Amino acid sequence: MNSSVDLSRRSFLGLGAALSAATLLAACGDGTTGPGTAGGAGGTLKWGWALPTSWDPVTSSAGWDVHVLSLVYAGLTKLDEQGTAVAALATGWKYNDDGTEVTFTLRPGLTFSDGTPLDAAAVKKSLERGRDFPKSLVGPQLVNVKEIAAPDSGTVIIRLGVPDFQIPNLLAGKTGMIVSPAAFTTAPDALATKPVGAGPFTLTSYTQNAKAVLARNPAYWDAASIKLQGFEAYPLPEAATVVAALQSGQYDVAQIPGSQVEAARAAGLQVQVIPSLVVATLDVNIGKKPFDDPKVVEALHYAVDRAALLKTAQFGHGEVTYQPFPKGYAGYNPALDGIFAYQPDKAKQLLAESSYQGAPVELVITTTPAAAGGAEQLQSQLQAAGFKPTIEVIPQTQFTQLVYVQHSRALSVDQFAGRDSAVQAFQVLFGKEGLMNPGRVQPPELADALAKVSRTPLNDPKYASVLQEATAIAVRTMPNVFLYTVPRILARRGGVSAIPEFTAVQRFEGVTVS
Amino acid sequence: MRRLALAALAVVALLAVAGGLLAPHDPLAQDPDLALHAPTWAHPFGTDYLGRDVFSRLLAGTGTTVAAAVESVGVGLLLGVVPGLASLWLGRGVEWVLLRAVDALMTLPFIVFAVAVTGILGNGLTQAMIAIGMLFAPLFFRVTRAAGLALTRAQYVEAAELFGASRSRILRTHVWGKVLPTVAVTAAQATGGALLAVSSLSFLGIGVQPPAPTWGGVLASDLGFLAQQPWAPVIPAALIALTVAALNTLADDRGTLRVAR
Amino acid sequence: MTTLLDRPQAPARAPAPAPARPRRRRGRIGALATPVVVFLFSSLLTFGLGALSPSNPAAAVLGETATPADIARMNHEFGLDRPFLVQYLDWLGSALTGDLGRSYFTTIPVADSIFAALPVDLALAVLAVLLAVLLGGSAGIGAALRRGGRLDRAVTVVASALGTLPPFVVGIGLVVIFSVLLKVLPAGGYVGLEHGLLPWLRFAILPALALSLDIAASIARQLRTSLVAQLGENYVTGAVVRGLGARRVLFRHALRNAIGPAVTVLGIGVPIVLGGAVVTEKIFNLPGVAQLTLQAAAQHDVPLIQGTLLVTVTVVLLCNTLVNMALLRLTPQGRRS
Repeated sequence: MNSSVDLSRRSFLGLGAALSAATLLAACGDGTTGPGTAGGAGGTLKWGWALPTSWDPVTSSAGWDVHVLSLVYAGLTKLDEQGTAVAALATGWKYNDDGTEVTFTLRPGLTFSDGTPLDAAAVKKSLERGRDFPKSLVGPQLVNVKEIAAPDSGTVIIRLGVPDFQIPNLLAGKTGMIVSPAAFTTAPDALATKPVGAGPFTLTSYTQNAKAVLARNPAYWDAASIKLQGFEAYPLPEAATVVAALQSGQYDVAQIPGSQVEAARAAGLQVQVIPSLVVATLDVNIGKKPFDDPKVVEALHYAVDRAALLKTAQFGHGEVTYQPFPKGYAGYNPALDGIFAYQPDKAKQLLAESSYQGAPVELVITTTPAAAGGAEQLQSQLQAAGFKPTIEVIPQTQFTQLVYVQHSRALSVDQFAGRDSAVQAFQVLFGKEGLMNPGRVQPPELADALAKVSRTPLNDPKYASVLQEATAIAVRTMPNVFLYTVPRILARRGGVSAIPEFTAVQRFEGVTVS
Repeated sequence: MRRLALAALAVVALLAVAGGLLAPHDPLAQDPDLALHAPTWAHPFGTDYLGRDVFSRLLAGTGTTVAAAVESVGVGLLLGVVPGLASLWLGRGVEWVLLRAVDALMTLPFIVFAVAVTGILGNGLTQAMIAIGMLFAPLFFRVTRAAGLALTRAQYVEAAELFGASRSRILRTHVWGKVLPTVAVTAAQATGGALLAVSSLSFLGIGVQPPAPTWGGVLASDLGFLAQQPWAPVIPAALIALTVAALNTLADDRGTLRVAR
Repeated sequence: MTTLLDRPQAPARAPAPAPARPRRRRGRIGALATPVVVFLFSSLLTFGLGALSPSNPAAAVLGETATPADIARMNHEFGLDRPFLVQYLDWLGSALTGDLGRSYFTTIPVADSIFAALPVDLALAVLAVLLAVLLGGSAGIGAALRRGGRLDRAVTVVASALGTLPPFVVGIGLVVIFSVLLKVLPAGGYVGLEHGLLPWLRFAILPALALSLDIAASIARQLRTSLVAQLGENYVTGAVVRGLGARRVLFRHALRNAIGPAVTVLGIGVPIVLGGAVVTEKIFNLPGVAQLTLQAAAQHDVPLIQGTLLVTVTVVLLCNTLVNMALLRLTPQGRRS
């Protein structure tokens, strides 16, 4: 799913319903700010990005909402640069030995922006709402949470159905954003436009599709790191005019497409290409023709010229990849590099060996309008390898329905946004119920490898190798095709200090505008 | 002016039929190494972001573009002319209902309506063109009705009625011959409007399914790469503008009406 | 540029959009009844369109987690299990009290979203129409007075050319000229009128100009044609012979008689502004109703699509009615009948 804002000219604003969990939270590394630094003198930052589908994290339907939502909400934990969970609203946590119970210790004296106390009881209510609220889109990630207890105001105990050491990571994202119970018990629908959280900023005014104005929240637990006095978020303009918009001072920082990088530099703007966890993928349904034949699936892997796709889609910004995790992430397995390098002849050979015996293999490539250009290029590549592809362009929501809900499409051009926890990422990509596994099949060896990951504490020295082993099994046995990484390209005008480079959620600790 | 317009339209018609055959390259053939290349002898209009020959795409895209415009005008004709005539001869009740229905259609803005229709019924060129066609209907309805209205009061039609000619015969011989030229002129103009509508919808990502080339599609895709090729949109835009201008010239020219009659 | 349903120069277009016959027969009540009936027709069409939709709120809202039971429950919650006519009347009834339902996705009341966006379109439409009158009026009068001259020919050529360009080309062209090359105006975005007239104008002028050019061209053409005809009339010649100043003749008499068709164009202009706004709002990133429609269409958010269409239709109807009233007052023909 598209998690980053799609800047393509024809992209629609609404990207998708089921992006629910598509999120990651990163945070400023600890120690970026000295103690006692006075915050709030850093001016107001105008950010061209995207406004959220809803300000309620539980019903927000787009993956990229997490970036804006984390301006107003905070969770028990947050992710650091390497994707490791670190303390946020909680000062720390402790697992029991078998990984079925985790106890968080809250910071004392926390409050929500409405002034109500953020204590263990509030955390419990907020998380339970995420799990149980009928319209919740984060519910599926919390099914393993059997019970949440608040024995005293500073302690939250989460009891799990099966062992899972990844809960602190899971709670660093949209799933774990703590919402004021006073707000959702009195007027739950109002949250969509009037968020009440405990994040670095509070929303002061919001015009749908136009503008969100935020003010610094002095009660934020890490308020000392927030230099900006105010924040304004805007939706992005056409790719053709985004550079002009930055130049004219309409935005201070904006995401730009790869095609505009040169133009932005030429216009004197600073450009940062920030590696992210987003990976471009193809969702393959092995329950549908022609992919019910494993030889055809294998042929598909070799028929794709990833470097050419990357060059066209992003003007070369990003890296070709064969696995769901980018370099530098714990789950990244270097042994998989080049595993399905472009070999059209081998693809042809495999098709000849398949049940089609060299006859043209007809298939339909399903795409959203935003990705239609890439689909055209893919069509041409597959054609060269002996497939006979046609393209079907459908709006994002229909895509959600047809690909994720009904599993009625054989091949779909997609993006994987990464997830807060590695296990969660595996579930989305390869799980039997996974959004991006329309074939609904998971080999037993992969299930075993995953269970092992869940049972391994994250601080266990073996954790990385256990995870990488699972990655290798998944990439070799699952039909998903990974194409290239999608960096977040930010252009900023002079006078804005460098934006911290986090692979996951864009945060603004330490940023100033003069 | 009329001759010039007719000549231009003849060229467009020729391209609509045979554009694909005349194209020097395969309009779908990609060459990523040649992406966004400036014009050369081999590629007189340069290449697009996938390295496809823009000249060939414009030639081959003429058919789809023209067909889409004609399709919507056809829908408009069907939904406009038939009720237009019906309103004259099927009595007050039918007339009243049709007039209100036409007024209702006229309150719907073109592109907004097409966007809404494709949003609800699915994204495709046919859905979009039917939506546009529906909104052309009032135009044809009014034109038909106005021409017909004048006739029902004309003395020779009254005379024919007195002499016992059947309604259908009057419709066939007298009315049809008079209404048709006006409708033809209006259709020329509507086709120009439809061309613009198709290209606007392409810009919004509605209508044509890739990789099929259309004029509007080429134009819309060029606008995404202004930083690389600021001159590129001029070519498809000029093609659209000239065709629409030719159609408008034809429709505005009083001579056309006379010739058509 | 903007594609119009009724291009004003259409050969057989009746001058006033609303038919005059029932009005004459039934007087005032009829005059009021017509827009009401038309509104009912349009709203039925709008609602019917939504009822045809294959998308369903449960699938839309719950996404991948929707089960058949969820779908049935949501259908019931949104009242979709009732007969069509009941749903329509209920929707229309609520709409008249200002309740257009809630978005499937954001659960934000549709009316709230629309009424936050509508001022953008209205302010823009007023500015666009003003610009159109100013540009089109002066060009038309100028061309008529210098008939056959260089100005006349230039006006004719520019006005015709403007009608042949796709609207987004004009919009992006203006951005390239004023924002990229001259760097005098912002490339997009919007600031409400509540922040002051000048800040608003800075953001509104380019999109309003993009929207106005087409109408301006139509006004110029109409005004020129009818003015030329009027200036050739005997009464004008007579008045000039009798020693009345040319200016006085122009503004007192000829213009008054020639203004009818131009006002009609204006009446068509407002709907065009609202229709063309889809493209303009996308280019200039304006938070208007059309942007809302586009977004709703991408999400199959049926209540939002229906709401935006209904409000658009209502605004258009109001404008038509106003223009008809203006025509009756302004033109001698109108007053006579």
